[in-house]
Amino acid sequence: MRISVIGWELPPAFSGGLGVHTINIFSIINKIFDVTLYIPDVSGLYPYYPFRVKRVKTNYKINEKNIRNESYYTGFDGIKFHDFNEKIKYYNEMVVDQFDPETDIIHCHDWITFEAGIELKERYNKPLVITVHSTEIDRSGNFFPQKYIMDIERRGIKYADRIIAVSEYTQKMIIKYYNADPKKIYVVHNGIDNTFINMPQKSYDLYRNVLYFGRITTQKGPRFFLNAAYRVIKKFPDIKFTFAGTGDQEPEMRRITGELGINKNVIFRGFVSFNEQIYYYKNSDVFLLPAVSEPFGMSVIEAMSTGTPAIISYTTGVGEALHNVFRSDYWDTELLSEYIISMLLHRGLRETMGINGQIEARKFTWESAAIKTMEVYRSI
Amino acid sequence: MTDNVIMYFEVHQPRRLRPYRRYEIGNNNSFFWDSENERIFKRISEKSYIPATRILMENNINATFSLSGTFIEQAEMFYPEVLDAFKEYFKSGLGELLDETYYHSLAGIYDENEFKKQISMHAEKMKNVFGIKPKNFRNTELIYNTNIGRIVKNIGYNLILTEFTDRFNNANSPNFVYKDINGLGMLLRNYNLSDDISFRFSNRSWPEFPLTAEKYASWIKHSEGDVINIFMDYETFGEHQDSSTGIFEFLKSLKTEMIKNNINDLRVNDALKFSVKSVINTDSTISWADTGRDLSPWTGNSMQVEALNILLSKGDKIDEKLFGYLQTSDNFYYMAAGTGPDQEVHEYFNPYKSPYNAFFYFTNILENF
Repeated sequence: MRISVIGWELPPAFSGGLGVHTINIFSIINKIFDVTLYIPDVSGLYPYYPFRVKRVKTNYKINEKNIRNESYYTGFDGIKFHDFNEKIKYYNEMVVDQFDPETDIIHCHDWITFEAGIELKERYNKPLVITVHSTEIDRSGNFFPQKYIMDIERRGIKYADRIIAVSEYTQKMIIKYYNADPKKIYVVHNGIDNTFINMPQKSYDLYRNVLYFGRITTQKGPRFFLNAAYRVIKKFPDIKFTFAGTGDQEPEMRRITGELGINKNVIFRGFVSFNEQIYYYKNSDVFLLPAVSEPFGMSVIEAMSTGTPAIISYTTGVGEALHNVFRSDYWDTELLSEYIISMLLHRGLRETMGINGQIEARKFTWESAAIKTMEVYRSI
Repeated sequence: MTDNVIMYFEVHQPRRLRPYRRYEIGNNNSFFWDSENERIFKRISEKSYIPATRILMENNINATFSLSGTFIEQAEMFYPEVLDAFKEYFKSGLGELLDETYYHSLAGIYDENEFKKQISMHAEKMKNVFGIKPKNFRNTELIYNTNIGRIVKNIGYNLILTEFTDRFNNANSPNFVYKDINGLGMLLRNYNLSDDISFRFSNRSWPEFPLTAEKYASWIKHSEGDVINIFMDYETFGEHQDSSTGIFEFLKSLKTEMIKNNINDLRVNDALKFSVKSVINTDSTISWADTGRDLSPWTGNSMQVEALNILLSKGDKIDEKLFGYLQTSDNFYYMAAGTGPDQEVHEYFNPYKSPYNAFFYFTNILENF
C-alpha cells in the first residue's frame, strides 16, 4: 500500500507537536507500507529521513524563519494570520501541482494541508484520510476562532473518507462543532519519544517547584496556572511556579504576575532545550496543565514518564486515558490550588501518583499509534 | 469425598466519608457522606440482603455471618427492615454470628488495645441487637497473623476464619480444620470453590459457565477433606452477581442438590467436631483480598501508609467514635493504586473513583485535628 502524506513540518527544523508526530509515526509505518511525505522545501531539514520525502518547491518565500515567527499556532493576531493563510493556500496549490498520483491513500494533517487533500482526492479519485491534531476552536481557546480556518477544517472533515482524532475529546468536538460523521472517526492516541520510556525513578523530596511546560497561549490556560499559584503562594510563600516555554500570552502573564504581586515566585524561563525540558519535568513536584482545550497533551505523559505527578483539566484529551492524575475544571483555580497544596504536603501522594503515573505513561508508544493508524488505512 | 460445607458471609457497609475540600477545614465538621451511604444501603438491602436472607430462611440453609458495627448502625438509620430479616434468621436457629472489629478496621495490625476495644464493642452490639454472644471470630477481610491469633485466642474465641494460601507450611488443603501455634482453631477459605460463585458465576468466558447447583454440589462432593469452606461477601447474591444472572435460583437449588448428595450445611462452630489436621505456624500476614492475599490493598503504597500514620498520630485528638469510623479499612482500600485486574475491583468499590481523591478527602478531614 502506498501512502502519500501531506505534511507541514519535520524535525529538526521545527519541533512542534505535528513534526514530532509525523517523524515518529511514519518511520514505523514505512516499515510496512510505502510512505511518501510532502513538506515545504525549507532549509534546516536532515538530508535523509526514514521514509521518502518530497520537498515541495515554492517560489513564495516559506523559510524556517518566517514559519517559526508565524508558527501556525501563533494566536489570534488577524493581520499576521492573513499573511500566513496566503502562504498556506500557496503551499497547498504547490503540493497539488507537484503531486505524484501513483498512490493508494492521501493522508493530511490539520487544516494547513486539507485543501491539497480535498483537491487531490477529487482530481485522482483517491481515498482521503485526515488526522485532526487540533482544531481552530482549541487553538483559539474558543476566543475568536477564525471562520476562514474553520471553513477549511469543516470541508476537510466532510470530504475525508476516514478521520483520525487524537483523543475522544477531539472526536466529540469535531462531531459537535464540525458536524463530523461519527462512523468515519477513529481515535488514535499519540505516543511519547523513546527517551521518555525508560526514565529512572526520581526522588520525591520537595523541589518546591510547580511546572508549566509548553507554549504560553490562551489555549493552555496560563492565567489559571497563575491564579492557582497565587492561592498556593499565600500559604506557601517559598514555592516557585515556573513557565518553561514562550508564547504570545507571555507579556500578558508577566503583567498578571505583577498585578498579583507574585513576581518573586513566578519564573519565566523562556524557550527550553530538550535536555532542560527533562530537567524541569524531573525537578518539579507537580506538573500543572489547566488547558482550556487541549486535544491531546503530550507534555502530560512526558512529565509523568519522568515520575512527576500531574494535575490537568478535564478538557485535556489525554486525561481520558489516564488514571494516575488529578483532574479539575480549568477555571476552578481553588480546586487546582487545593490539589497542589495536598501534593506539597504529602510525599506519599506525590510518590504514589508519580510512580504509578510513570508506569502508565509507558503505554503511550508510537508503535501502538502506528499500528492503529495502519488499521485505519486497512479499513478503507 | 466430602460431606460437609460451611458457608460464611461477610456483611459490611463502611460509613463513607464525604468528598471534603480544603476550604472546609476548620469550619465544617460534617464528615460523612450520608446521602450516598443511604442510597447505597437501600439499593443493596433491596437487591441483596433482604432477598438473599429470605431464601436462606425459606430453604432452611444453615450459614454463618459477620455483621460489622458500621453496617448495623446504618441499618438502624436507613433500613431497619434489614435487621429484622437477620433477627428472624438467627432466631430460626439456622444462623451463627461471628465477632469482628466494630469498625471493620485494621487495628489488629497496629494497636492491640484498640483492636481489643473494637472487638468488645462489637460483642456488645451483637448482644444488644441479637441477644447472641459469638463464640468464633473473623477479622476484617480475613486478615490473620500469629499475633492476631494470639489476641483472639486470649479473648476466648474457639476458631478464626482466614484464607488458605500456599504460604502456609503444614497445610496443603483448605478442607480441614487446623490450629495455629496459639491453639486457636482455624478455618481456611477454599478460594477456588468460593470464587466460582463470587467471581466466576456469571462469567461467560469461563469454561464451566453456566454454573448449576447440581454441578457445584458434585464438585463439593468430589473434593477431598472434612469440610469445604465457602466464604464470601454476602453482596455476591444480588449485587455483585445481579439477580438476572440466576444467582438466587442457584442458591435455592443448592440446598436441594446438597441433600441429594448427602452434604451437610454446617456452621462455623460445628467444625469443632473435626479433628485438627495440623498446626499452622506462619510469619506472614494473610487476607482474602486481591491476588496477593496480603495487606497490600490497604497498606501497599506510601500514600496509604502516610494516611494511616497521620490518622494514628492524631488518635488522641479525635473523638473516639469518629476515630473508629476513620479507621474503617475501606478508607484505605479506596487509596489502592496501580494497574491491572485488582485495580478494576478497587475502582468498582471506590465512591471517589480515584485513589488520589480518596487520599485527598481523607487527609483534608484529618487536618481538622
